[in-house]
Amino acid sequence: MSQGDVAKSGQVVFAIEAFKRIHPVEFQRRFLSQGTRHSGRGFSQFRATHVTKGTISTAQGSSTVRIGNTTVVCGIKAEVSEPDVKAPNEGYLVTNVDLSPMCSAHFRPGAPGETAQVSSEHLHRLFGGNVVDPGSLCIEPGQAVWALSADIVFLKYDGNVLDAAVIALTAALEDLQLPKAEFDSATGVVSADKTMGQRLKLRKRLFPATFSLVDGAYLVADADDAEEQLATATVLVVLDDNGRLVNIWKRGAGDINRATISRCVEDAGTRKAALAKELE
Amino acid sequence: MSTNVVDRRRVNGPARSVEPVYASTETADPFAEGREDGRALDQVRPIFMKTGPLSAQESELSSSATASAASGSAFYEQGKIRVSCAVYGPRQGRKSNARMGSFDCDFRYAPFSCSWKRRSHVKAADEKEISLMLEHAIAPAIRVEAYPKACIDAFVTVIESDGRAATIAAAINCISAALADAGIEMYDSVAGCSMGLRGSQWVADCTQAEEDVSSCSALLAFMPSADEITYILQHGKSTPEQTDQAVQTCTNLCTRVYAVICRYLQSSLE
Repeated sequence: MSQGDVAKSGQVVFAIEAFKRIHPVEFQRRFLSQGTRHSGRGFSQFRATHVTKGTISTAQGSSTVRIGNTTVVCGIKAEVSEPDVKAPNEGYLVTNVDLSPMCSAHFRPGAPGETAQVSSEHLHRLFGGNVVDPGSLCIEPGQAVWALSADIVFLKYDGNVLDAAVIALTAALEDLQLPKAEFDSATGVVSADKTMGQRLKLRKRLFPATFSLVDGAYLVADADDAEEQLATATVLVVLDDNGRLVNIWKRGAGDINRATISRCVEDAGTRKAALAKELE
Repeated sequence: MSTNVVDRRRVNGPARSVEPVYASTETADPFAEGREDGRALDQVRPIFMKTGPLSAQESELSSSATASAASGSAFYEQGKIRVSCAVYGPRQGRKSNARMGSFDCDFRYAPFSCSWKRRSHVKAADEKEISLMLEHAIAPAIRVEAYPKACIDAFVTVIESDGRAATIAAAINCISAALADAGIEMYDSVAGCSMGLRGSQWVADCTQAEEDVSSCSALLAFMPSADEITYILQHGKSTPEQTDQAVQTCTNLCTRVYAVICRYLQSSLE
């Protein structure tokens, strides 16, 4: 390559980067109007997903999930507490999503912002009674139950909070080993034996798929950060092991008709097959 | 014991939850037959480091800094310790008449990162203290006079910790790497290392189990090329001679750690 070629190609790359920065909408439209995306993916193509379980030794259950450049770690700590008076045989599963400036400049330091709060709530609702049977967390009815704190910390953010969070939490719950616990009614103390751990029996596993309506016109699967910024609506579809619908959540002001939702559910089924293999 | 204040911005668990009393299966001394992981007494745990985005799956175009990307980031592992850091800056500072730039560090433990208990989401006193420690350790290395009116922010999260002093040393190394990745002008990279005193013998880079049976711990932050110590922290009981010995040994270990960090930084350029 001659000096002239290098200079020209360098200038071309610089021009593309500047264009992407200054006019993100037009930049994305150049690709979307041609039926492709700026990353080269197809409209229904999800990014390569990698799941690793048991990555954090200080947590009772953990997982690391990478969807493209989005990287998230989920750690579950098990503590003991008194059950609620209204539900004396039920334990707790507390889910919290952590989005900090460490993963992206979108997020401010300090208290959780909107995205984190909304994601934490939705995850709590999804996993609450669906996935973990609260009765399986009971140590001594009315006296002691397990309180599982699941924290989903984003290390790198490139779009698609909910998919990454749901997959990470599912994997961490599968990895979770609860020590065998005994309640001493005389002292009120719960003692546990780390060497005898039991896996939780989960009611079902959840397989998420997120679709975004970019620029009001193009429905793409698994939008990355650049595409998410321009999305007018987002649809989250969650299926269980048998392909049954657990949750559809459409948010944003953009219009999505019934045919599109059906297509989303279909594509979610394909995604579920790929994810199931990864979760093994 | 952890008492949860009702935090309206988070999903709350029960008001009070505690760790169960774990039957201690090992009362054995972690130093009974040499060190548990087979290291020498003056050997630091193996270091792995990665700067820039964590995944390597990027196209040429998306590797350019977008508005939402940090200026520099690093992921650092030392044995079981895992620390992640993102650096933003230089960006507009708080004081518009400042002649020198400022360096701020925000340190926190992930709730699941410590073996001794689940950490609360609210910033605890020790996290605030460690944030200041890191600022003091790293600020001397940054050419703040080159960034008037600007501030450089580092956000550090410990994903997994294994030894309190060792984790802080790892955080120092992680921030140094992230600052280098961000292209911040520095006099030198700061390398950190810690030691624990067992009896009368200093042991390098103690794990949590080893630290629990140590009577004293020392933490050192050092700039090898400038031959300057930026931070020393010693707490516990040790004689002045022992402390002196720790500083000497730590300085040598920091130089070794520094060489590893430099090698990783160089290979990230290739």
